[in-house]
Amino acid sequence: MNRLSKLAFMSVIVLSAGCASQPQRADYSQFRSEGPRSILVVPVINKSIDVNAPDYFLATIATPLAERGYYVFPVNMVKAVLADDGLSDSNLVHAGDPRRLGELFGTDAVMYISIERWDAKYVLLATTVTVELNYSIKSAHTGQELWKNHQLVVYRPQQSSSGGLAGLIANAIVAAIAKAAPNYMPLAHQANNGAINVKGTGLPAGPYDGLFGKDAAEY
Amino acid sequence: MSVHRLLIASALLVLAAGCATQKQRYDWGTYDPSLYAYYKDPAKLGELSISLAAVIDAADKNHAIVPPGIYAEYGYLQMQQGKNRAAVDLFKQEETQWPESKVFMDRMIKVASTPVGGSAVPSAAP
Repeated sequence: MNRLSKLAFMSVIVLSAGCASQPQRADYSQFRSEGPRSILVVPVINKSIDVNAPDYFLATIATPLAERGYYVFPVNMVKAVLADDGLSDSNLVHAGDPRRLGELFGTDAVMYISIERWDAKYVLLATTVTVELNYSIKSAHTGQELWKNHQLVVYRPQQSSSGGLAGLIANAIVAAIAKAAPNYMPLAHQANNGAINVKGTGLPAGPYDGLFGKDAAEY
Repeated sequence: MSVHRLLIASALLVLAAGCATQKQRYDWGTYDPSLYAYYKDPAKLGELSISLAAVIDAADKNHAIVPPGIYAEYGYLQMQQGKNRAAVDLFKQEETQWPESKVFMDRMIKVASTPVGGSAVPSAAP
């Protein structure tokens, strides 16, 4: 192998590591037997200490699901209508029967999301931002779980490489800024992408994707 | 040498295509960030409304499909301002474009068409 082909080989490894799919394939038998066309995202359960996390997260979830080829019910409208019906408590909605939501909205499936972590921690002159989520899709016809996924995304700003006192101060400033106003949105987007778009564990193509029902080899 | 370069380039291309997110199916305009901004600051409802209208306008102009939920979200904001007739029109458009929404839209059309005191949604009409 000369140097160039070695280089090519290595970049191939690096790239495939960057988008590697998780080893074990999810069980899609329930999902396939129903082939849902539409997804209703209900208000998100919050186990983090950030009271705004569920709303902020809600603003990120509709587009990736629709881009995957599903009809996604209008998330903000659904949230408001549920609240008007006395269902603003996400714990109550999650504990309820998905079939009831199926009757109310005419959806095929319901997506339940729980925020496990949504925080920024300042340790040793660096801030680590963490977003951890559990996703579950249940059938609105049978109530059975069709799919689930777990995502943990951690972001730690690049340490300054300059070293010495100047490097320490630079790191402290970066960390302080991240701590003061941590930006969770890129992490939420990354988590959604990791949950939905990874072959073998993500969501099969929806009815508005040309591969609908034809991607059984991958999902 | 040039063959190798070509090989590398094509290997990279293939891989990038394999894991890159595909081209967007719909033009969402600024829907996500506007919804986020509104949740962060409810005073930004006007901006959210404008961004939803812009998504619909852009799709109309480009003969493209309005993404799922956008007619309905916009219609709901109209309804909250008491513009129930505009809301009903938008709910009907959602239903026409996306038959999956029929049950929900029919229910909302009924609510929006009922004179003050409709059950599911408080009427913002004066």
